Amino acid sequence: MTETTLQTQELRINMGPQHPSTHGVLRVELVTDGEIVKRAIPHIGYLHRCFEKHAENIDYMGVMPFVDRMDYVASMNNDMGYAMAVEKLMQVEIPKRAEYIRVIMAELNRIASHILAIGTFGLDVGTFTPFMWCFRDRELILDIFEMTSGARLLYNYLWIGGVWMDLTPGIEEKIKEFCDYFEPKIDEIDTILSYNSIFIHRTANVGIISLDTAISYGLTGPNLRGSGKKWDLRKDEPYSVYPELEFDIPVGSGEQGTVGDCWDRYIVRVREMRESLKIVRQALKQIPEGLFRAPIRKVRPPAGEAYTKVENPRGELGFYIVSDGSLKPYRVKAKSPCFTAISCLDEVSRNEMIADVVAIIGSFDIVLGEVDR
Amino acid sequence: MKSYFLNIFKSLRSILKGMLLTAKYAFTKKATIQYPFVKRELPTRTRGQLFCNIDDCIGCKLCAVACPVDCIYITANKKGPTEEINHTSEESGKKPRRFHLPQFDIDFTLCCWCGLCTDVCPTNCLYMTKNYEFSAEKRQQHIWQYGEGHKPGPKTEFNRPGDQLKLYVD
Amino acid sequence: MTLEDIFKKLKEKFQDGVLELKIPDEKYKGDAFIMIDAKKNHAVLKYLKEEASLLFDNLLCISGVDYKDYFSVVYHLHSYTHLHKVVIKVHLQERENPKLDSAFDLWKGANWLEREIFDILGIHFSNHPDLRRILLPDDWEGYPLRKDYKTQETWHGIKVGM
Repeated sequence: MTETTLQTQELRINMGPQHPSTHGVLRVELVTDGEIVKRAIPHIGYLHRCFEKHAENIDYMGVMPFVDRMDYVASMNNDMGYAMAVEKLMQVEIPKRAEYIRVIMAELNRIASHILAIGTFGLDVGTFTPFMWCFRDRELILDIFEMTSGARLLYNYLWIGGVWMDLTPGIEEKIKEFCDYFEPKIDEIDTILSYNSIFIHRTANVGIISLDTAISYGLTGPNLRGSGKKWDLRKDEPYSVYPELEFDIPVGSGEQGTVGDCWDRYIVRVREMRESLKIVRQALKQIPEGLFRAPIRKVRPPAGEAYTKVENPRGELGFYIVSDGSLKPYRVKAKSPCFTAISCLDEVSRNEMIADVVAIIGSFDIVLGEVDR
Repeated sequence: MKSYFLNIFKSLRSILKGMLLTAKYAFTKKATIQYPFVKRELPTRTRGQLFCNIDDCIGCKLCAVACPVDCIYITANKKGPTEEINHTSEESGKKPRRFHLPQFDIDFTLCCWCGLCTDVCPTNCLYMTKNYEFSAEKRQQHIWQYGEGHKPGPKTEFNRPGDQLKLYVD
Repeated sequence: MTLEDIFKKLKEKFQDGVLELKIPDEKYKGDAFIMIDAKKNHAVLKYLKEEASLLFDNLLCISGVDYKDYFSVVYHLHSYTHLHKVVIKVHLQERENPKLDSAFDLWKGANWLEREIFDILGIHFSNHPDLRRILLPDDWEGYPLRKDYKTQETWHGIKVGM
């Protein structure tokens, strides 16, 4: 008579680079004990395009298309970060009209990026309808961008010294129309997704990040605000014309579960979209006449180095530029927020189920172009 | 016991509210358009394929220098002292053309559609059209020629003597 | 606290470990920084993080730069409680095998940032839990961001470069 022995050993599963839920080419090696995950080790580098090495061989203006392609979903904010870093080194003043145009474009892009994050998070968790609705609304923003800059995804619109071309005549009415159209849609997203009990059961009390862990790992943006800290660069270290605009900062408070779970990070993004609409409306009222680009002959910063950070939809994007006085940068380092967000995946997904790992990756809102550069 | 049934009622209510909203959308106009039978109207500033009007080009090579990926290849031979110097058109400022331009090739497998080359051109001879449907079957059909004496289109003869750079051939 | 006060405090505690405070002038524009000795790296960072009046609990960025004769590692630190920031720079003179102490036990975010510097510049961090390549494949040869780097000809039979 044979006896079957029960073997319990650790299982290594590969959530490979091709996967519909990893938001790009990310490989996560899961060491599981049955269904419970013991360790989740992320491997990155599948989208590395050597941005920092390329930037050393091209002049300052030519680096701008490369910077676009880092976080391809929120391209205007990346442009703004790089342009501000070079302008800080060159100590050049930008006309007021250019600053207002930059803020309007950056906030519209923040709405577009959050729409994508919410839609794909719903898709990961299992719903298909919010994803389709989010993309229908995102098309309207991309149409506005195409009328202003000519491209739908990688704009190369915010240049060093201002913007490329002035706003097209008639675009301000279109932006106002979009703001009036979009505000009730956020309520619809709340009805169909945020307060749906199946969604709440899937995301509340999952992937809890305490405030100390978040600060130690260097998380920023909605990931940090979901854990309870009220810190936003636009309010606490303001740049551009944000001091003249009024808006609020939503913070996660453990409404449906614990502070710092996936639902908190998600609802911070939904509420931020409302604040961005407020900013766009105020900026359209206050925008002055004037030049759209500072008269710069040649972009040739003096020798030195500077670090600038801006508030991206995904966190704080930092640019560290070292210049030696020539036409090409000596070193450009981009510190991306998604890079630090993925590094804490291991600690956050201990003792969660495999399906929860998908929800955690979705709540971090990563874009692999920014992680790998 | 009461909280058990209250929980069921609250969950069902939240799901039904969502489904009512979706049912409302079943009777509205669809947002999809049936491409390729219906195409979108593109705005004026759309950045599509590059086009160069060689009669307006003065051979300054500013576009080749500004390109971040070096996809523009230009050969400019200075005209001799006895040759006639013609001028570019009225709209571009009637500038003198002192160079022959036998090779003005753009490699669209490298072009990143940034528009930096169109911004620096002093005569606006290089501009972006609205064309985005130019797929091809071979990689070399993506190298377009705009030089003097050629019809603008995919390059037919490669690596002729006197050309600035040797180009890829399948 | 202003940058001069932080520099004075550091100079009192670590006399020789703190080398100079560089402020922008005609030859150098941009951010001011404090240069420290490579051997006292970990001690200075630990003091900056734990001292009550400094409390730099937020590590913004660690970058590596290759100046042709020496390497430089730059730490950008920020404090959420006191709202001040500082830039710490360390110079490493060896070209072949530069070594530095890891800051992983102070800020967990330093883990991946230091792995990236090891991957592209070749600077070893001691006491790091898991120092291996992160962006490039594990069997890549060489450190690409060095100024004297030559790309390898092939990798697993595939031709590298255009």
